[in-house]
Amino acid sequence: MKYIIMLLFLGMSVTAQNSHAHHDSIKNLEEVQVKNATKKKIETEMKMAVSVDEYLSSADNISFIKRGAYAWEPLLNNMSTERSTVTIDGMHIFGACTDKMDPITSYVESNNLSAIDIKSGQEGSLHGSTIAGSIDLKRKSTPFGLAKKWNGAYQSGFEFNNKQFFNLGNVAYSGEKFVAEGSISYRKADDYYDGNDNEVKHSQYKKFNTSLGFAYKTSDLSAVRVDAIFDMAKDVGYPALPMDLSLSRALITSASYKQLFEDGLVKVIDSKIYFNAIEHYMDDTTRPENLVHMDMPGWSTTYGLVSKANLKKNSYSSEIQLNAYDNLSIAEMRMYPQDRSKRTMFAYSWPWVTTRYAGLSMNNSWELSEKSQVNLGGSLGVNYNYSKYVEFNWIFHPGAPQEKTRFLPSLHAGYNLNIDQFNFSVGTGYGHRAPSVSEGYGYYIYNSFDRYDYIGNPDLKNEISYEGNASAGFKNERLSIQGKLNYFYIENYIIGRILSMGSPMNYQSVGVKGYTSLDYATLLNMSMNVSYDILEHLHWNGTLTYARGMDNNGGNLPFIRPLSYLTSLHFMHKNFGIQTSVNGDFEQINYSPEYGEDLTGAYVIWNLSANYSFKINQMKTVVQVGAENLLNEYYSTYADWGNIPRMGRNIFTSLKFNF
Amino acid sequence: MLHFKTFFKHSLPMKSFKILVIALLGVITSCTIDKTDYEAEIGSQVPEYYEFKEAVSLTSGNYKISIEALNGTFYKGYNELHLKVSNTQTNQSVSASEVTVLPILNTSSSCPHEYNVSYDATNKYFAGYAVFTSETAVSNSWKLYISFKADNQKYEINKDISVEKQSNKNLNMTTFTGKDNEQYVIALISPQKPKVAENPLVAGIYKYNKPTIPAGTFPDPSQFSYSEVSGYTLKLDPRMPEPSMGNHSSPNNQDLTQQNDGLYHGVVNYTMTGNWTLNLILMNQNGLILKGTVVPTDFTPGVEGVKSELYIDTLF
Repeated sequence: MKYIIMLLFLGMSVTAQNSHAHHDSIKNLEEVQVKNATKKKIETEMKMAVSVDEYLSSADNISFIKRGAYAWEPLLNNMSTERSTVTIDGMHIFGACTDKMDPITSYVESNNLSAIDIKSGQEGSLHGSTIAGSIDLKRKSTPFGLAKKWNGAYQSGFEFNNKQFFNLGNVAYSGEKFVAEGSISYRKADDYYDGNDNEVKHSQYKKFNTSLGFAYKTSDLSAVRVDAIFDMAKDVGYPALPMDLSLSRALITSASYKQLFEDGLVKVIDSKIYFNAIEHYMDDTTRPENLVHMDMPGWSTTYGLVSKANLKKNSYSSEIQLNAYDNLSIAEMRMYPQDRSKRTMFAYSWPWVTTRYAGLSMNNSWELSEKSQVNLGGSLGVNYNYSKYVEFNWIFHPGAPQEKTRFLPSLHAGYNLNIDQFNFSVGTGYGHRAPSVSEGYGYYIYNSFDRYDYIGNPDLKNEISYEGNASAGFKNERLSIQGKLNYFYIENYIIGRILSMGSPMNYQSVGVKGYTSLDYATLLNMSMNVSYDILEHLHWNGTLTYARGMDNNGGNLPFIRPLSYLTSLHFMHKNFGIQTSVNGDFEQINYSPEYGEDLTGAYVIWNLSANYSFKINQMKTVVQVGAENLLNEYYSTYADWGNIPRMGRNIFTSLKFNF
Repeated sequence: MLHFKTFFKHSLPMKSFKILVIALLGVITSCTIDKTDYEAEIGSQVPEYYEFKEAVSLTSGNYKISIEALNGTFYKGYNELHLKVSNTQTNQSVSASEVTVLPILNTSSSCPHEYNVSYDATNKYFAGYAVFTSETAVSNSWKLYISFKADNQKYEINKDISVEKQSNKNLNMTTFTGKDNEQYVIALISPQKPKVAENPLVAGIYKYNKPTIPAGTFPDPSQFSYSEVSGYTLKLDPRMPEPSMGNHSSPNNQDLTQQNDGLYHGVVNYTMTGNWTLNLILMNQNGLILKGTVVPTDFTPGVEGVKSELYIDTLF
């Protein structure tokens, strides 16, 4: 039944689908954990073969900073990745690129994920301290003892604009005591063309990803599991940046033990140790216009432990999670003089910075009645930083401590009420976060957006968020309306401010900025979502989002999404489906010149796709053909780094077999 | 498909997984670019010497005077000198007094030096310095004139010495005539091995004391007298001259002022390894600029940085 409802909803709304995912996630999580039986589809309304980024972008509280066609940086509640925790199955992983060319989402592939769990604000503190919330990428996990022992899928497709060709395959074996699963994928794309049919140079990429997982049932109620993901990207262009990527590799491994309990308060304990290593090599030899040749390799290695218990008794349920990790981030820069026989110039942009974190988090919920529910949670974390070559930091901050320990508390509370067809919720939160490695210890990290070199400050105060949120909705058989709102008051908001001292190191740079704390900043996010079943097989959905971010002087914060909308129609009958959507942003009036932004104009994009399902020898097959940006509009959004134009008309085709 | 099935059915999956993980670990640990060995990196251009060894010894009668310098070599620039007097018969050290040192270049000029070297009772040697202003070459020959008193008898000896090129650019020096028409020498003394960090910077600033009396018997020390200038200020503006660095500078530097040891102390921040120019302005006690010009502070990528009239290049 649930699947039928889900299927029905699938076409109804991108955002509804996601808020659905969001609301359901706790329940699903339990189901995945306890029953191992649910499975989510990584696809959007318009496209069934999506990249992780495309999938994430269908959530209404996610936006992206785009530096090209690859590895978009997800912004949650209009806040960048420093303010959110991005994890893979609760495992902390940190990108190895000082220029954020490798968000964690770039190291997975859609065919090794089962769902993405997005939590807003302090509700996301289960995975560690956060301000904006958490994005947890959930890996596929095949249950034991499925009726069908072998399962697999193969997906292939071609996108005409950038000649992207992709092949994704995954296979799983489910035995009574043993489960094995694996996936493999390869994507290759050339440069894309913008709406004026001009080639956007340096926007090509190649990505290879594979994953393996084995689980063994040690008893009726316990199992061990080992997992590994290996991801490799080569020759990736970043048209908005002055350099590209020659190679990045990630190895993400974990071993876990899960114990279920039939009686008692504790239902599940799931403990996992993990290790991941990332290496990232930027390359500017593809850019002969660069005055200076520079090597900028980066490494990030993390060891960690995540242990989680699910408790339930009568109307009370709780999740308790212990997170601990140790990360070492290293980034180097070596500039070559024009006369190559001369001495190269070397410095660390991350001077061997260790981050250790340990924290205990808890989410509790009580069903007060069938109609109302109270949630109460919090976490307490200890964050420790150590800069091995602290003398780099001393150049701008003489005498700054080499080690720094911070305590990061978090609290949140919420109340949900359902009355007939109406639902309401209110919530509040309070939480601290520690500065990121770049904010605390970064050294001459060039930001090509505002063209400043950024210097970290080890003495930055914790950023403290006070948050309130509310939602209201109405739902009947045909119509659903949901409005959401959240407001953040962030004390000691960390942002770069021009430093009068120091001069740029990178030749494109115009000056030096140091990370400093504003007294406060405020951020408001609103969204409205309506879906309506016009006919049995015809569904309409509309979404409107608005955000406003201001600093303590009433100035605009950068990368805040202007008023934006999405409206879509979905028709589905038997094996045939057709969908169309129009989306766009209004003019970005509240831009921030101080942070390199300029006025970004409004744009409208029209998308269209159709799919057909059939069976070949018991194999469920789906073909899809569609076009994004059908009218070939030339545009760039508020969050396109350096105003690089987005992709023009893109015709895509894909084919998927399930066996 | 068949392959997969047989693979999983007939092999030990855990074992194959282990092998795979080990193989993957092998892939990931074999980084294509090695991490830089930072210690080796900052030491690669900079010979660093901490050990005093005998550079030359002179003998007169039963006495030998041994002069020690870092690495047993006299280099162009600042040299700290340790002098020890011993008896050649007994090989015992001798308590000498009134030890003087006078370096002479081509019988016509000298260089900054401490003429009357003082006795360091703790370390049991006479300590002085000499700032050789040129390397030994066909047209440049250096001779040391030493005198000392032992057993109430004065000994005077001299010997040709060799002054080598200082390959550590952080110990560079410069000579110039100031606006007051005096001859000055500025020599870097420390750090030998700078880091990408705040570096305490030590320099000696010396002035040639023009003789006021006619020359006596050669070598007459009054004709070859130098002294440490006192109460001056050496303004500092370090920059990277490399065109691609666009006149890059660093923050939080401190001008050099004289401390109790007579030397001038300041702070230089090097933001990265490579070629640096210390742009200098020398001012006397009254704030009068004796030499040096203010350099442009603009960031000018692709253009070699303009240097002050008075500068010393460093490299590490």
